[in-house]
Amino acid sequence: MCGFAGLARHEPRGVAAGTLDRMAAALRHRGPDGCGRYAGPRVGLAHVRLSIIDVVGGAQPLGNEDGSVLIVYNGEVYNYLELREELAAAGHRFRTRSDTEVLVHAYEQWGTAMLGRLNGQFAFALYDRRTESVFLARDRFGVRPLFYSVVRGDLVFASEAKALFASGEVEPAPDPVGLDQVFTFWAARPPRTVFRGVRSLEPGGFAIWRDGQLRCGRYYELEYPEARDEPAGALSALGDLLGTGVALRLRSDVPVGGYLSGGLDSSITCSLAARESPYALRTFSVTFDDPRLDEREFQLLVARQLRSQHFIQAIKPGDVAAVFPDVVWHAESPLVRTAPAPMYLLARLTREHDIKVVLTGEGSDELFLGYDLFKETALRLFCLRQPQSRSRPRLFERLYPYLDPAARRGDFWRRFFLDAGTTDDPLFSHLPRFSLTSRIKDFYAGDLRATLSGADPLEELRASLPSRFAAWSPLNRAAYLEMVTLLSPYLLAAQGDRMSLAHGVESRYPFLDHRLFEFAARLPTSSKLRGLREKAILRRWARDQVPAEVQQRPKQPYRAPDIPAFFSPEPVEYVREILNEANLARSGMFEPRAVAGLMRRCQAGVATGFRENQALVAIVSAELWHRQFITDAAQVRPGRLPVPDVALADGVAAPA
Amino acid sequence: MDESAILTRTRSYVLDTFLYMRPGFTLGDHDRLLQRGVIDSMGVMELIGFLRSEFDVVVADEDITEQNLGTLADIARYVAGKRGNGTPARG
Repeated sequence: MCGFAGLARHEPRGVAAGTLDRMAAALRHRGPDGCGRYAGPRVGLAHVRLSIIDVVGGAQPLGNEDGSVLIVYNGEVYNYLELREELAAAGHRFRTRSDTEVLVHAYEQWGTAMLGRLNGQFAFALYDRRTESVFLARDRFGVRPLFYSVVRGDLVFASEAKALFASGEVEPAPDPVGLDQVFTFWAARPPRTVFRGVRSLEPGGFAIWRDGQLRCGRYYELEYPEARDEPAGALSALGDLLGTGVALRLRSDVPVGGYLSGGLDSSITCSLAARESPYALRTFSVTFDDPRLDEREFQLLVARQLRSQHFIQAIKPGDVAAVFPDVVWHAESPLVRTAPAPMYLLARLTREHDIKVVLTGEGSDELFLGYDLFKETALRLFCLRQPQSRSRPRLFERLYPYLDPAARRGDFWRRFFLDAGTTDDPLFSHLPRFSLTSRIKDFYAGDLRATLSGADPLEELRASLPSRFAAWSPLNRAAYLEMVTLLSPYLLAAQGDRMSLAHGVESRYPFLDHRLFEFAARLPTSSKLRGLREKAILRRWARDQVPAEVQQRPKQPYRAPDIPAFFSPEPVEYVREILNEANLARSGMFEPRAVAGLMRRCQAGVATGFRENQALVAIVSAELWHRQFITDAAQVRPGRLPVPDVALADGVAAPA
Repeated sequence: MDESAILTRTRSYVLDTFLYMRPGFTLGDHDRLLQRGVIDSMGVMELIGFLRSEFDVVVADEDITEQNLGTLADIARYVAGKRGNGTPARG
């Protein structure tokens, strides 16, 4: 796993090595093991490397035999051995054992159609000197990031936005519409970001830069061709896909560890890994003092069964607040939950124990309808079919079992779900969540509100839905919305890639093997959500794989303390400082009097509901984000680069 | 304390607790608190705590209905009824 950056000029006036080095330095945390660059007359490429496959031979930028094709690449293509064999049979000669070189030859052989053949999590930039074009691509589900900006006719691109700003060619400024999306969906929706003019390449997307023009396209679309009945042999097909999905993701020249949450999904990935791995498996978990958040009992149960070497990151009071500014720096976005912070600490622990690759269970809840949101959707539909029924709405009491039981009953609880929207709204499933998250906007400053007066994030989302969306079943529509609004732009980014690579740890996702996604999308939804039992087929398959307590355990969402992380009861010093009136007025996002009211309630210990918890995290993170990226933009943290392993240059001598 | 005083005190509490961040918001006595986005299920729990500490009224589970707690006027009527100085609560 790595980071990369680059520039493509619309005129061949050269790319300075110093510019590339600054960009690479901003990404140093992603690739502490090495670095390299190519500085040419039209294109420059920079790379920082985390060595995982072909530790010796895989330095980048890497070219083909005659150097006419150069690549910088972040990620893994798990089926590279099979592709290499196919390409070798077609006459390609390989100099290294790396998957990077496979991509170069795959491009020579198949052009941009190569993308459909890759099974992996990747982002890359490939420079074809024969056509003076740059080819950018990103994996199907958006595991690995790729940001870009077109400035004065030049293309600037990088694994993280901070490298764009480090180039000196892209000015950091807020995008109010992107911010408004964060405060609706939890994250900006690609291609939009929270930075004006900075775009995120869409998952399953590619872009080609040529003659000063950028053309974007897609090579992969999410489809839900749901069958009426579960096919015979579905269980064994599921087992095969999980088995090969894990086995492919164990391909590495360094040991692979596992994150263990104590839930079904990571227990499955760790169990399969323990069986397949040539090394004694090391597993890593977070624990919390608050028993409502803590899952150690189940984590230890699985670790004992697997006989793994188990390491625990205990999250103590104060830990989340202590790292939160760094979390925001790496996430590059305001957040509405602190949940990325424990993941940041977990990655640090993992790296300290010499593991730089981990398997994790993300994706399963989206594929197999694990979240309460899917049950909520099914129940809302069930109730709205018989609005007069008095017994049906009582089923809502069975949702969100981790919340205070007193708050989970009565008219108010039921009406929240039943009045959230009509069944003919394409966003039906997500309207309760979107409307709850949007309460953050109650704190907006007047100017921001005025700037956003014409913006309607829900309407934009409706307009972006594919035409086939309407033909899918309501639960598959919900699953699609979950994939595009939450999984890729938030879970895999702010909570995934950015947290693990802050410490040079690569996370791998067996459930996000596209073959498994396509298998799950073909299943009838009743195979996944059976009554109110989530992930039904996965539980059936896991019966002999994981401890019964875990196999039968209801889904427990991963959460971290929000307001209590920052108040005890006095606020931590930096919260008091960034939420003062002068600072809030300067950044202009939130109304100082409203924030003062929230601070009072937090200090008094009475702000306990969702609304105020998410508002506090949103406001603190947005102000930290603004300070780090906008106000103090000139002081972007300098990284240090060692001597490059690869330093290629040709053509015009660029100014230093 | 009569129903009107209860209403005034409850209005002040709701504005301070649930609407401090929306100073321009006008809340009528008969506006539905849930539908207008003033209060949600978690907020209702907080409101119930307030009714207990302020008016010494314990809200039974079966009383947590929109009829009793749906608007400021409903709350005032319900509390007054429970305190024996108004119309009885509707279950």
